[in-house]
Amino acid sequence: MQNKKENIFNMVLASTVHDMKNSLGMLGESINFILSQIDIDSLNEQTKDYYGVVQYESSRVNNSLMQLLALYKLENNQLPYNPNYVNLSDFLEEQKIKHLPLLEAKEIECIIDVDEAIEGFFDDCLIATVLENIIGNSIRYTRQQIKISCHQNSTTTIVVSDDGPGYPESMLQMEGSYMLGINQSTGSTGLGLFFAQKIAEIHHHKDKVGTINLSNGGELGGSQFEINIP
Amino acid sequence: MVFNLAKKHTLIVEDFAEFARSVRAMLHSMGATKADIVYNAEDAIEACKSRKYDIVLSDYNLGSKKDGQQLLEELIKYKLIKSNCVFLMLTAENTSAMVMGAVEFQPDAYIAKPFNGNLLKTRLQKTIEKKDVLHPILRSMANKNWLETLEKIQTTLPEHPKYRMSCLRAKFQAFRELKRFDEALKLVTEIVSERSVPWALEGVGEIYYLKKDFTKALDIFKTMTKEYPMVLEGYDWLAKVQNTLGQPVEAQDTLLKAVKKSPKALARQKSLGELAEINNDLNTMTEAYRNAVKYGNNSAFSSPDEYVKLTTALTKQLSDDSELISDKIRNEAERTFEKLNANFSSTSANLLRSNVAQASFYNACNEAEKVEKHLSQSKKYLAEIDEQISGEVSLEMSTALSELGDKELSNEILNEAIQQNLDDPEFIKKAAKISDNRDLIKTSQQASKSNLQAISFFKNKKYSDAISAFAEAHKLSPKNINIRLNYVQTLLKQVQNQPNANHMIETADKLISEMPQLSLSDKRYPRYSELNRLTKLTLQQNDLVS
Repeated sequence: MQNKKENIFNMVLASTVHDMKNSLGMLGESINFILSQIDIDSLNEQTKDYYGVVQYESSRVNNSLMQLLALYKLENNQLPYNPNYVNLSDFLEEQKIKHLPLLEAKEIECIIDVDEAIEGFFDDCLIATVLENIIGNSIRYTRQQIKISCHQNSTTTIVVSDDGPGYPESMLQMEGSYMLGINQSTGSTGLGLFFAQKIAEIHHHKDKVGTINLSNGGELGGSQFEINIP
Repeated sequence: MVFNLAKKHTLIVEDFAEFARSVRAMLHSMGATKADIVYNAEDAIEACKSRKYDIVLSDYNLGSKKDGQQLLEELIKYKLIKSNCVFLMLTAENTSAMVMGAVEFQPDAYIAKPFNGNLLKTRLQKTIEKKDVLHPILRSMANKNWLETLEKIQTTLPEHPKYRMSCLRAKFQAFRELKRFDEALKLVTEIVSERSVPWALEGVGEIYYLKKDFTKALDIFKTMTKEYPMVLEGYDWLAKVQNTLGQPVEAQDTLLKAVKKSPKALARQKSLGELAEINNDLNTMTEAYRNAVKYGNNSAFSSPDEYVKLTTALTKQLSDDSELISDKIRNEAERTFEKLNANFSSTSANLLRSNVAQASFYNACNEAEKVEKHLSQSKKYLAEIDEQISGEVSLEMSTALSELGDKELSNEILNEAIQQNLDDPEFIKKAAKISDNRDLIKTSQQASKSNLQAISFFKNKKYSDAISAFAEAHKLSPKNINIRLNYVQTLLKQVQNQPNANHMIETADKLISEMPQLSLSDKRYPRYSELNRLTKLTLQQNDLVS
């Protein structure tokens, strides 16, 4: 009986998320359009802050729902995994562009450091959803700069670092079990990291599996997120 | 490369008017001045008929009718967009969920909503850049000129290593179409040994299948469905191989898994229906064809097949169900016939098929009057037919008519089909089971033998021997179109070697002019059309009048 109840809740949840996703898509489109009509430089400081909040929060809710849907599908073995060769320079540039209005509003510099010719082998839709959340968080916590870089030996590593205060110690210690980071009382960002870990693990090559890694310090002195794709 | 949209004509297909306008505003800010908006797929098709667009931006969800994928399929199938037109699909969801249609009908790029103008700009820029580079290859492929495709790849690939995978994929397709299976297999095997790229893995299995190495193909597709459980083409292939290996029950099971993940695929539902029919699983058969009708409703690939098959399944169910359910079934069957007649009444062949199916259905309902009515309609349409009916459909109708006791009509259809399909041993085997016309089967088999012998002469360039053999085959089975076309082609070939062969030209002209009509959709139509053109040309060159 208990089990059946949970199934019903899962189903309702999934279809509600779908519904919300559609509404949110419309909302996001409308917000993007309204915002694109506004000349940021003409705004006073307070309005500028609200501009940033609207941008950030709407893309954050959207991204959270994407993750939720993806995790639901993952649990039901319905998550499409369709890897291909991806040019990383193009790919990372696009991830930056998704946040461009917010970066400009908050006057944050975003540097991309990647060799033009590097190609990775992964599902670009899934990794893009991961990075959207990570970059969004960096924009929230950084002071002036974000850096997205990529290097490759036998694995492809994408690094997102910032000059903010860094991850709290408790988060750094959760390595490998980010589910625990989902904390209802603080509304922690655990979902994003949990999702990142799951998506990393889907990517495998021979006997190697993808991983994520968090650290502080890094290239810009703040938090540093790494996803390693074999 | 300078990104300039000023000269590009764009079509925006989006059911949400405000969003369509906001996309247009984004395009305007990139310098595009010529952007049209339509709100559904039907209007998009009309728009593409009157103008050749450079860019189409279409939403995937377009309200209740055709979706963006079906729009794309229709635009490609009816050549309503140029081979260098860039098609961008706008989606509400994670896009890898969409990448599940037939491979040949993929948009050039996806973009997930909501997106900002900057992202649209880069995505468009990258896609146009790529399409420009690959265009010579794509054009050769669209023209099915595979040797030229290989040449174009040879010149493009070294200069554009970024598009290596797209080039290799095109190369694989060209090798496959040219039946150069060993080269095709080597190419995809090398790719797969590096990384298991889904399309390349599928390619390995496909070539094994074409080389009739079914055990190896089975292994590959089992691996593929395990490694990529959401890449559904793997299941389609696995089922096909299983059925070829005589495992229709396993094949049905495989397709059921795929259909559960994504029910919206017409071809897959039809294959499932066929397997369920082989397995005598009436419920699955009914459900599969019901879905095929449902999802095919707005598709350019919809055909009378799924409608007729659905009514066949329903007719079979009638015999052993309770009265209450029978009413429901009867309703559904009648609605299906209505839709069939509404969508496919343009040719006598379709009307004939529909009437035969209706006669069978009312026979199962024990309504003699209606059976009579549809049989007499069938007779009428058969007399009017001027196009070819496929072997499968002929067998279907002939069997049904024979069960209804109309031996005469049944034989008429079957005899015609035997003469048309005598070079298809699978068909002849099936036809021989239901035909009592031993003489016709025997003559047809002789004609087929002569035809094969003639083809072998032709291949060895013994044209005059080929001509005698084709003449013999044609005499045995004067109605057969393939023999006729072969005969004409050989005569024209011989005329080239032997000028002033007026009698040969005249024979060729007589053969082609008196041939039964081929419909435009017939696979042999391009060949017929080309041979007809050559014949008339040869007539003129030799000062003969047609």
